[in-house]
Amino acid sequence: MIDKQKLDKILKKVEKPARYIGMEQNSVQKDLEEMYVKFAFSFPDVYEVGMSHLGMHILYNLINNEDDFACERVFAPWVDMEEEMRDIGLPLFTLESKEEVINFDILGFTLQYEMSYTNILNILDLSNIPLLSKDRDENYPIIIAGGPCAYNPEPLADFIDFFVIGEGEEVVLEVLNLYKEHKANYIKDIFLEDVAKIEGIYVPKFYDVSYNDDGTLKSMKANRKGIKEKIKKRIIKNIDTMFSPEKMIVPYIETVHDRVSMELFRGCTHGCRFCQAGMIYRPIREKSVDRLMELADKLVESTGYENISLSSLSSCDYTNLRILISMLMDKYEDRKVGVSLPSLRLDSFSIDVLKEIEKVRKTGLTFAPEAGSQRLRDVINKGVSEEDLINAVSYAFKEGWSRIKLYFMIGLPTETDEDVLGIKDLAYLVRDLFFNRPKEERLGNFSVSASASCFVPKPFTPFQWVGQNSVDEFMRKIYLVKNSIKDNKVKFNYHDATLSYLEAIFARGDRKLSKLLLKAWEKGCKYDGWSEYFKYDLWIEAMEETDTDGEFYALRDRDTQELFPWDFIDIGVSKKYLLREYKKAMAGETTNDCRLGCTGCGIPDCVMRGESVGN
Amino acid sequence: MVIRAMFTKKNYLRYLSHLDLMRLFQRCFNRSQIPIKYSEGFNPHPKFSIAHPLSLGIESEGEFMEIDLAEEISIEDFIDKMNYSLPKDIQIVKAKYVDGDESVTKLISYAFYEIKLLISKETEIENIENITREWLKNDEILITRYRKKGKNKILVDENIKPLIGNVVVKGFDDHNFLVINALFKVGEKGNLKPMDFIGAMNRDLKLDIDMDLVYIKRLNLFAEENGKLYSPM
Repeated sequence: MIDKQKLDKILKKVEKPARYIGMEQNSVQKDLEEMYVKFAFSFPDVYEVGMSHLGMHILYNLINNEDDFACERVFAPWVDMEEEMRDIGLPLFTLESKEEVINFDILGFTLQYEMSYTNILNILDLSNIPLLSKDRDENYPIIIAGGPCAYNPEPLADFIDFFVIGEGEEVVLEVLNLYKEHKANYIKDIFLEDVAKIEGIYVPKFYDVSYNDDGTLKSMKANRKGIKEKIKKRIIKNIDTMFSPEKMIVPYIETVHDRVSMELFRGCTHGCRFCQAGMIYRPIREKSVDRLMELADKLVESTGYENISLSSLSSCDYTNLRILISMLMDKYEDRKVGVSLPSLRLDSFSIDVLKEIEKVRKTGLTFAPEAGSQRLRDVINKGVSEEDLINAVSYAFKEGWSRIKLYFMIGLPTETDEDVLGIKDLAYLVRDLFFNRPKEERLGNFSVSASASCFVPKPFTPFQWVGQNSVDEFMRKIYLVKNSIKDNKVKFNYHDATLSYLEAIFARGDRKLSKLLLKAWEKGCKYDGWSEYFKYDLWIEAMEETDTDGEFYALRDRDTQELFPWDFIDIGVSKKYLLREYKKAMAGETTNDCRLGCTGCGIPDCVMRGESVGN
Repeated sequence: MVIRAMFTKKNYLRYLSHLDLMRLFQRCFNRSQIPIKYSEGFNPHPKFSIAHPLSLGIESEGEFMEIDLAEEISIEDFIDKMNYSLPKDIQIVKAKYVDGDESVTKLISYAFYEIKLLISKETEIENIENITREWLKNDEILITRYRKKGKNKILVDENIKPLIGNVVVKGFDDHNFLVINALFKVGEKGNLKPMDFIGAMNRDLKLDIDMDLVYIKRLNLFAEENGKLYSPM
């Protein structure tokens, strides 16, 4: 255990000390001495962000439900806390037992966004754990990682002992049970060889890579006997019967999502071509209304939260959404428990649902047309039209909403200036729809804001071959829109293009990038996802010093024959399908939602395919 | 119907801010289905208040809150249900129905603290007792603190002597911390923060106190009538 007097000394000096104390409702504290496997779970960002992540709540409860295992949490200390900890010599500790992270058997990171990678190195360093996998012998915890960014694990290959590819609910317990067997005679290398046999586990050091003269990947081969050449992602077959937490830790301090979060389904059928989640989480699998009602009951009971958020990639697609919502409303209205839907589509059905759940408060509405013109929306296969927007927004105004947010991306493939200016046109259209209503029917205080993010091509999407726009090009387009908007009712916000550039480098990077990451961290990069701490100039220096050509990773259009660093992972959706989608995108052809008929993405055992074959 | 309740706030939960504590109670009312009254309007919120919130980092054996109920429940039921869903370091100790004419916040005028601190100056306990007693005989003990003046904050000198009720130096505990009991004014008519007092004591008595490691616990809150202190419970 850490020196608690040191902790007492510094807690008084830092902002929001409750980030570091644990002891929340539904947190689990076990006697670590009694445990076969001590697992430290880390979301490499500040407490409030990490605690809002549903996956953490799932794995935390799953592991702690087992008698032999303990799961404790560790987050990135905020900058002020880190300074105090380093000053006083306090190593990083878990929230539950205040035990040093270094004394755990396994430390697992969830990789939710690329720009959290420097925080991983910082967490290892604050724990006095060597950063490089090769420098860690049996005296150190095994360092593992999973989550969406693990679908391209290569940039972290030097640091992480092994990755978990795909959904974690089953495989985590398989790994912990295997460790339990090894624990008495634990030899890191032998354990790694054994764990590599589990489906979905990738151990980077068991693979050798070679490169072509132009820097692209030439080959990636297993360097030991019995090591798989392809890693298949893990899929939970039946999410209705799988482990779902009946409790959630209730933080004392306000977090990003202060509410019960219930997962309606996994996967998505829309097939938007920029969206990685839409590809990697296939096939679509729903939970039943009965199961969700049962979970809602237990979660509301155990947390005391006043809001239930129905989460998924596109919640309005849930087959029995209407039934579920009216059952939830009936049950919880008296108890002042509300229901919310985080993702909305541009249709009147969605707004009807919203009308039902937001009876009193009509806050802002958010829509994501993603691109300013119909042509470009067809390219990215975002199946919404201007007419959808007009209908949805008109209906929303009629029902009393007055603040609209529109989300766009800039830098999409084939984009022209005309497409970019379409962002302004849509925002103006929304404004006109409001003010063209008779004066007495205009309710509330109108505002429309258009937000533009800079497009980052992601692995395992039809746009994985596409080069990103340069920072200069992004800025030119951003100012094109910004300067065209001359109405103070219409707001325009945009994301930092330099941050998106770095994100693109790591999103499609190879294992050579481990050096860049290490160098950037050494120079002081951390909390890159927080604009006040993102230091682009340090990253540029780090690239120069490590001979890294950022443009090679981010800006280059890739040949369709090119072998990608992530090609050794089998996500179920075939590369052939992604390529076909890429070509259709370039031709401006759309692909239907696969509920209307199988589009042949390659996912095995898909219910959608079953139905379409049956037709 | 108003319930007045006395509760603890101990160990690491001393780092909960007032707002965090309000949120915690609100969820506990939900979880234990206490029939609390809600305010009217677009954004209804439960009607309850906590008297003289603690500064971050201070523990307490006796905080006070008042809860407006929509229907009557038995006191035993209230305490049992609340304590079942509250964390072990925040628990209801006592509760009773009050007529609600005067809020507990208004009633309370004194706070009683136990303060533990480390001093590096080698000295006998008798000596500390003596110099403290002599120091407290001064008519004026000045501290400087920020005061709001319009939009700005300005530094002002303030005499804290009238805010000090009583101070007793108890001795050293097992961990070599000097233990002091102190009664200070709290509330609108005068308010002394324990750390301000310790700061002044350290400055005037040159005790070399480790200001980063002062443990403060509020033992009780008192109301005053005709010069006599009594518990609002």
